[in-house]
Amino acid sequence: MKLVSNEIFGVARACVIGLAILVAASVAHSQPAPTTEELAEQIQILKHDYEKRIAELEAQVEALQGESRVADTVHAHTPVAQPSRQVADNSFNPAIGVVFNGMLSEYSEEQTGIPGFQLGHHGERPDEGLALGHSEITLSGNIDDKFFGNLTLGLGVHAGEPTELELEEAYIQTLPGAGLPDGMRVKAGRALWTFGYLNEQHQHADDFTDRPLPYRAFLDGHFNDDGLEVALVLPGDLYGEVGAGIFRGDDMPFGGSRDGRNAGSAYVRFGGDIGANSAWRIGGYVLDGKAYNRSGGHAHGHGEDDAHGHGEDAHAHEEHEEDEHGHEEDEHEEEEHAHEEDEHGHEEHEEHMDLAEFLSDGMFTGDSSLYAIDFRYTWAPTGNAKERELILQSEYFWRDESGEYVLQEEHEECTDPADHSTCEVHLDDVTESLSADSRGWYAQAIYKFHPNWRIGSRYSRLSTPNDAELSHDPYSLSAMIDWTNSEFGRIRFQYNRESFNGEDDDQFILQYIMSLGAHAAHSF
Amino acid sequence: MKGLRAALLCMALCSTLVSLAAAQDPVRILACEPEWAALAEEIGGDDVIVHSATHGRQDAHYIRARPSLIAKVRRADIVFCSGAELEVGWLPVLMQRGARQIVQPGQPGHIMAADHVTVLERPEVIDRSLGDIHPSGNPHVHLDPRNIATLADVLALRLVRIDPSRSDAYRERLSSFQARWADAMARWQGRLEHLRGMKVIVYHKSWTYLLHWAGLERVASLERTPGIPPTASQLAQVLEVAQDSDAKAILLAPFEPADAADWLFRKTAVPMVELPYTVGGHPEVQDLFSLFDVTLTLLQEAGDRP
Repeated sequence: MKLVSNEIFGVARACVIGLAILVAASVAHSQPAPTTEELAEQIQILKHDYEKRIAELEAQVEALQGESRVADTVHAHTPVAQPSRQVADNSFNPAIGVVFNGMLSEYSEEQTGIPGFQLGHHGERPDEGLALGHSEITLSGNIDDKFFGNLTLGLGVHAGEPTELELEEAYIQTLPGAGLPDGMRVKAGRALWTFGYLNEQHQHADDFTDRPLPYRAFLDGHFNDDGLEVALVLPGDLYGEVGAGIFRGDDMPFGGSRDGRNAGSAYVRFGGDIGANSAWRIGGYVLDGKAYNRSGGHAHGHGEDDAHGHGEDAHAHEEHEEDEHGHEEDEHEEEEHAHEEDEHGHEEHEEHMDLAEFLSDGMFTGDSSLYAIDFRYTWAPTGNAKERELILQSEYFWRDESGEYVLQEEHEECTDPADHSTCEVHLDDVTESLSADSRGWYAQAIYKFHPNWRIGSRYSRLSTPNDAELSHDPYSLSAMIDWTNSEFGRIRFQYNRESFNGEDDDQFILQYIMSLGAHAAHSF
Repeated sequence: MKGLRAALLCMALCSTLVSLAAAQDPVRILACEPEWAALAEEIGGDDVIVHSATHGRQDAHYIRARPSLIAKVRRADIVFCSGAELEVGWLPVLMQRGARQIVQPGQPGHIMAADHVTVLERPEVIDRSLGDIHPSGNPHVHLDPRNIATLADVLALRLVRIDPSRSDAYRERLSSFQARWADAMARWQGRLEHLRGMKVIVYHKSWTYLLHWAGLERVASLERTPGIPPTASQLAQVLEVAQDSDAKAILLAPFEPADAADWLFRKTAVPMVELPYTVGGHPEVQDLFSLFDVTLTLLQEAGDRP
């Protein structure tokens, strides 16, 4: 029935369009010399006419289909396959989604790095004042009956730099119809891989404006290397899932992949319900691999990018130059990424450089293993998370790295100490072999006390490597309140007290996050 | 890479143990809502294990894709839901994670009630500014008892296909259920006679099918934009409409917020009536029969008030 009506509809549409073209052609011929405006107007009228007719036909087809559905129900006794609708955003075109993110931030201190840790772009705080955060464009959909595809572009804007286009995700994933064993799925490409709780989700879905410290220090916000991951949900009354992945090894905590498969991962997760209105999940994860010439700015093994990642360092250095070495500016402007200590000459640098400096500013080559445990608990007092809900969440990270840290040291050599023009600037590599254990964790609580309002608090902390001989452990304390108009729009106010090196930075951030179009359902 | 290797070994061991522990069982049905769980129990009896993803006081629009539900989908033989995007916020995640072949769309273990009945209120314009609308129409189809009868047939057929060895039992239970249901519907029709035309105010469009079947008239809806709580100005408009009409009740589901209805009650003295909405939504509603019995009794009480 449906097939026949579709056919009629198709033929009718073709006839109407054909007729319209014919009429348009004949009109064009019969009249003396119609101007283009007149022609356009006539075509417009015709278009309107046949669109109306198509609409009428569509209404008829709709009515017919409605009848056939009723008929199907009546004849439900005949054992035929029932018509089923796909549970999907869109059947043919990819679902398109855009995330808008803007902030107004106020900080009490200058930005600093985290002593003892390399910090990348995503690990830094947002620009002060009015600024756009990360905007996102997502295209996704079922490729065919066996595969799903997703492309996410991140548009990052940082003051004084051109807009940065980042390929956050470009992956394909098997659909349950792909013929794999029940419960198994395979994901390949670039994706936010399974590691801890937050890594899998886009930052706009977070409960706070910024990621907790361990994510910033250990993963530069998120781990989205190129790779492949296999996951298996175990059959059992308790939810259990295991998975393993192999990755290129280009993204933090790795970098400068040599043979294109320098990292691997494995995880196990369990979860269940407690009573009717609360649920929990716990997981353990390993991410293991090799890093080559990893530096803070970009974990891609290019020393030059260092200046990029440490914008603040370079800045401080520039000021320093102007104060004391103003006359040398021409010679020095190319070497912004060098360190302040260099200014004091070669002889002194040994005693000025401590291990923390190697850890945060050096280029790392060696083995990096990152372990994580995550825990999440949700409780909706009435069963309706939309009304009232408490969420407790915590993650613990432990990183074990051993290898060589290389710092580039700049110094001047003069053939004639009295004559400045004979001086040349040299770059020396200073290498230090280190084995560094560092830890980090955070714990947060979010309470939704009204369908539109939530409050939350978070504490996160890093333990710097013991060898670094730092007395201060960086921490961050946050409190937030947000207003959610609908599932698609949220406005948040957050206060952070961040202390990286003993100085307390008071941060006030007002943020909006809105999503337009398709919006992926969030998992637990 | 030593840590990684140890972890992989441990994982392999875990999965083997868990797989061994999972034995063959009766037909497992995951119902998205309690009404479909109740129907599955009527038709499946002891030959099925039924679990409902939501309970009677939960709004099925907005639950979390809990880990326990992924585990349920992973082992389910039938997933039985309302469809028409009611569960769109969580069911796709469960289906994708659980990755169970037989319950995927187009497979015999996939039953979406809205695919089998006439869906009301299909929107002509689809835009997010209209709130959380369902492009496929109103999904709350179970509140018309005729739809329940249709879905009983559908479910029985699927059970026969999936578990042919017990097809006689399924057929027997189906005919017994249909006979009892037809009697009950006749009884309810009688009770509906003096309810027809009664004017009511609703909160969300959860009651469309009930109103349609029982011949009640909706004069206003408190929640103007679906999924977004009413604003003060919208409430003022509802108040105006409510004062001009002689509405007998403000209908509310157990999971719908009572504050707006309560405000209107205090302004107009139109009583708030919390109807069960589904099985478990009222202490006396433990199956589909009592769902309609109690609903009609509550409506009658409201209608009889002067």
